[in-house]
Amino acid sequence: MRTTIWFLKGLRNGKKTEKFPKAHPEEPPLWPSKLAGNGTPECPTNAIEQGKWNAGKCISCRLCLPDYKPTGDQSSFRVSGKFPGILSRSFYLYPVDSGTCGACNTELLSILAPQFDASRLNIFFTNTPRHADALVLMGVYTEGMDQVISRAFEAMPDPKLIIALGACAISGGIIGKRPHLSKDSVIEIAGCPPSPYTILEALLRAREGKR
Amino acid sequence: MNPVYFSLLITAVAMPVGIWWRKASYALVIAGSLEMAVFTLLGSGNLAYPLAYFSLIASIAWILISIFSMTYSAGYGKWLTPLFAMTVFGMMVILESSDYVTFIIGWEIMSIPAYASIGLNKEHWNAAYVFMVFSEISTVFLVIGAIFAVQETGTMDFRFQSLTSDLPLLLIAIGCMTKMGITPFMISEWLPIAHGNAPANDSALFSATMTLMGVFGIARIMLLSPSSIYLGFFMLAVGVLTVFFAALFAYVSENMKMLGGFSTIENNGSILAAIGLYVALGEGVLKTYLLAVIMIFALAHSVAKTGLFIGIGTTRKENFSEVDSSKNSFLTLGWFLVTMSLSGLLPTIGGLGTWMLLESFFMGAYQYGLIGIASVVAGSMIALAEGLASASMMKVLSFSQVHGHPKGSMKNSEGYVLLSTGVILILLFVLANFLIQPQFISGLPSVLVYNGFTIQSKFSAADFGLISPLYVLVIIIFFALAAYLVFDRRKGKLRIVPRWNGGVDFDQYYTSFAYASNIRLMLKGILRTRIRDGNRQMSVVDVFWFAMQSFASGYRRFARQFAYRVMNSSITWYMIYMIVAFMLVLILAFVI
Amino acid sequence: MQYYKTARGNGRYIGQTRSYTIYSDSIDSPVKVEKKPADIIPGELVFNYGPSTGGMIESVRIALSTPGEMIRSVAVDPTYKLRTIKLSGLSLKDAFILVERINGYHSSSYQAAFLKAVEDALLTEQNTGLDEELILQMELERIRSHLNVLERLCEPAGFGVPYHQIAQMREEVTRVISSIFGHRYFFGVHNTPKPSVRIPSGIVTRTKDIETRFALLFESLQDSKIFVNRLQGNGKIEKVWLVGPAARAAGYKYDARIDSPSLDYGRYGFEPYIEDGKDAFARFLVRGNEIFSSFAIVNQIISNGRPDQANLMNIHGTGIGAARVESPQGDLFCYLSINNGSVERIEFCSPSVSNIIAFEQSMQGNIFTDFHFNWESFGIWISEAGVEIE
Ligand code: SF4
Ligand code: SF4
Repeated sequence: MRTTIWFLKGLRNGKKTEKFPKAHPEEPPLWPSKLAGNGTPECPTNAIEQGKWNAGKCISCRLCLPDYKPTGDQSSFRVSGKFPGILSRSFYLYPVDSGTCGACNTELLSILAPQFDASRLNIFFTNTPRHADALVLMGVYTEGMDQVISRAFEAMPDPKLIIALGACAISGGIIGKRPHLSKDSVIEIAGCPPSPYTILEALLRAREGKR
Repeated sequence: MNPVYFSLLITAVAMPVGIWWRKASYALVIAGSLEMAVFTLLGSGNLAYPLAYFSLIASIAWILISIFSMTYSAGYGKWLTPLFAMTVFGMMVILESSDYVTFIIGWEIMSIPAYASIGLNKEHWNAAYVFMVFSEISTVFLVIGAIFAVQETGTMDFRFQSLTSDLPLLLIAIGCMTKMGITPFMISEWLPIAHGNAPANDSALFSATMTLMGVFGIARIMLLSPSSIYLGFFMLAVGVLTVFFAALFAYVSENMKMLGGFSTIENNGSILAAIGLYVALGEGVLKTYLLAVIMIFALAHSVAKTGLFIGIGTTRKENFSEVDSSKNSFLTLGWFLVTMSLSGLLPTIGGLGTWMLLESFFMGAYQYGLIGIASVVAGSMIALAEGLASASMMKVLSFSQVHGHPKGSMKNSEGYVLLSTGVILILLFVLANFLIQPQFISGLPSVLVYNGFTIQSKFSAADFGLISPLYVLVIIIFFALAAYLVFDRRKGKLRIVPRWNGGVDFDQYYTSFAYASNIRLMLKGILRTRIRDGNRQMSVVDVFWFAMQSFASGYRRFARQFAYRVMNSSITWYMIYMIVAFMLVLILAFVI
Repeated sequence: MQYYKTARGNGRYIGQTRSYTIYSDSIDSPVKVEKKPADIIPGELVFNYGPSTGGMIESVRIALSTPGEMIRSVAVDPTYKLRTIKLSGLSLKDAFILVERINGYHSSSYQAAFLKAVEDALLTEQNTGLDEELILQMELERIRSHLNVLERLCEPAGFGVPYHQIAQMREEVTRVISSIFGHRYFFGVHNTPKPSVRIPSGIVTRTKDIETRFALLFESLQDSKIFVNRLQGNGKIEKVWLVGPAARAAGYKYDARIDSPSLDYGRYGFEPYIEDGKDAFARFLVRGNEIFSSFAIVNQIISNGRPDQANLMNIHGTGIGAARVESPQGDLFCYLSINNGSVERIEFCSPSVSNIIAFEQSMQGNIFTDFHFNWESFGIWISEAGVEIE
């Protein structure tokens, strides 16, 4: 039977949200995920140096295959510094696109999809930096956005965090340089683009006030 | 001699004095007005309740405008002041007249200097001509009305006395309505044009008190006339139509003074609607109540409109787009109160007036038959227009004050005058209990509102609605204070961050034109919004103005030719023409 | 160049690259298009939107000139996030990594345009296995991209339930992509030694399930008066230079899938879906229906098993090639000159440039509340419009 009431349509669809982060990811992608292997194969971003793989530089180009192989492990992020405890009640993000290819943007928004449903974890997006707890930086440095980004950071009330999302924002990736403010970031979410699993887990860890 | 006549004398002296000593002349007008107010209050004027109110209302407005004019009128040449005094003098004559002849003489003394003030202000005399045409039309109707009224008595007694037919009221009402800029016969736009082109103090004088004289004229004859359901309906319909269109045009107006002019028409329309209901009704409580409504509404309008034009005057500009308002907290507060009153919001007398007006129409709905239906329609139309009026006042307040760039050239004293006007509006609200007949005053002791503190609306023995001005004010102050104490930003709980505009500089502000474009587009059919040249520009055409413009331009053509041939378009000749016209009217009036 | 001729304006107009004017059948010398600065009329204001605002996915500044309520003109500035991507001098392999990231959301289309241009320049015959794989990639990408546009259309309408349901389908399509190609955005598919494409079992059931659920939702959206009213009559445009869904919504049968020789869609029985409403609603209908036609192609390919692909990355040679493919938002053209295995000169003509102009023109005379719906209905990607390819 067809109904014209959206609410009922929604109910009929049932619950689609995964147990993640309490359970393991249901369908983790291979690329990007943590790589494991030996040796120092050719890598366009020098993500592998002296036999060590650097998540923040890796752009998942697969050129290091078969020396390095993806593990499917989604936890390639780095959280540093101390966070204010108040974030655990609500965590408002303001995304800024400095110079992306568009994929980081959509992956970030994907955490709102029912499979991930970030809002159940009290993570939200806001339309103005004035209401934001964290600035999510994406993409490489661009001249036009440089000042805009510093203004956005200025406009945010304290306490405020910077999150670098994606290889471009963390290290410049393969496209260019990283944006200026990215050096102050306390959360780095690696991947090109990072998968929603990684993004969600990183945000949750940061929110818990982990060192 | 009646002591009120001294006020006439003092004001008469102010005329010649004004040619040389500007401030002294205004001081004399203030003294004259004060005199009039005091003696009217003491009950020694020519007028008894409810007409005595008009003297009181006018005096308050004159005093405020004169104080404002002392600083404002500098730079407008030496003629403005004597002409101002003369207009006031004419109005005093109208108020104190006890016969038709004096009334019409006063009418002309009031009108003629007004053409000149408008003409002197502008390079183009068109506005003055427009004003003149409509003034003279109004006089013609008054004269004919007076003839019929006198004829009815069968004698040559020109004094005001009871009438048996409604014809004189109809004619005189049309005459007065023309002066008030009311809509019938599609003449809605001359008043904004004329008022918009006068210096601001004159605009205030015209809008606040000259149109009041129109109301006074109708009220004067209304009290002498029998009730007439058809005439009542006619006035009601015209009033309601006026209210609606004037509110609409005020909202879309870009010229501040024109906006004020339309707002005046809108208020006059409301009063006319109330008068219409009064004329239509038979004797009863509601009729008595309506008298109070007319008085309170007229009072509210005149004082607040004085304030509005003073406020506009302080900007020294005409269009919203060029405003460079002075930053002055007294001024802003005054603006706020004045626009509140004109928006019909509490705690001002305008709020009370609007409430009473709407109440009377809702009570009218309880009347049987046509009056009931007409009241419902009228009430809802007026309520709708009040909404638009509030939006217009918001526009005035925000685009003259909030968005202004602080570099205006007004004197501080003008801020005080505006603030006093605002305070008067609140005081009048609180003291309204003393202005309204005791039969509508009561109390609710059970909830600690003591007798004498509430105003009732009623159409029978039981009350219909209640309001208690003092308590309203106290409650508003209480909550305002509470909010202030809780959210006082100095307590350091608020985080203040810079504005955000997409990350780029702020260089654009919302414009007043854009503010009103929603209605321009929504009511495309009525406002005849034109979007020209591939979405390039939007403009509004007034449907009524189409018809009148051809008429006015015909007159202008005549006047221009007359001017070329006879007057050489010099001001001196124009003055002579005025004086001759004045004499002629005087003689005519006496002959009749 | 095998597919393209240098000639005077043959075929429909596609757009401009840095040094050429592109038509559907030929390449011509460039025409200078001058953009007049927006004039400001007194009483009007310029309403600024962006470059950084929550309402937009990417950084873009939009200036709306308005006399109030109604929008008189719109100027879209995609250059705030202008990236410069240097490709000339790089080996095909290295250039490919960057080409994928010009527009990450449509990386398949860029891969296809690039690979087909390489093929055009260096090889004499088409590799059907590669074609099939690229078509599979692009149709999956199209489904996801169209779903994304429909999802974005639901957002300003405040339609929470369909918004989330489409978001869920989009994520599922992404997972299908990830399970076939290893990467959620197709990155690196052609860098690997074969085989990088894997058709997991049961994948056909999965795509068919998504399709069925989408069909129900699409129908419900069309039944919703509130939703339809927002789109109907909004952003009307009918111009011969339109591309992609915008052209097909204006009654033009323009589609690189039928009028470009680069990829052969013939064997899938594909026919473009045409609407003639010219407005945002027509664009909505075109996208919705294209999701079905794309699913039809996808299902045909994946039920045949893994396509046989060729790796073009390591070939060497010299030549000039051109290719045009139908990206989800319209024709994507690539001109490529290769010198001894490395890129000498490369130029792209991306659909978003054309769509931005179409958006600007279609917005004139609409009111403010139409803005978001109309913007989303074009599916513009700033990453491919605000980019400098060297
Ligand atoms: S996937 Fe590419 S970027 Fe990442 S480590 Fe391997 S070669 Fe380097
Ligand atoms: S990190 Fe990768 S996915 Fe993200 S913007 Fe950069 S190139 Fe695109």
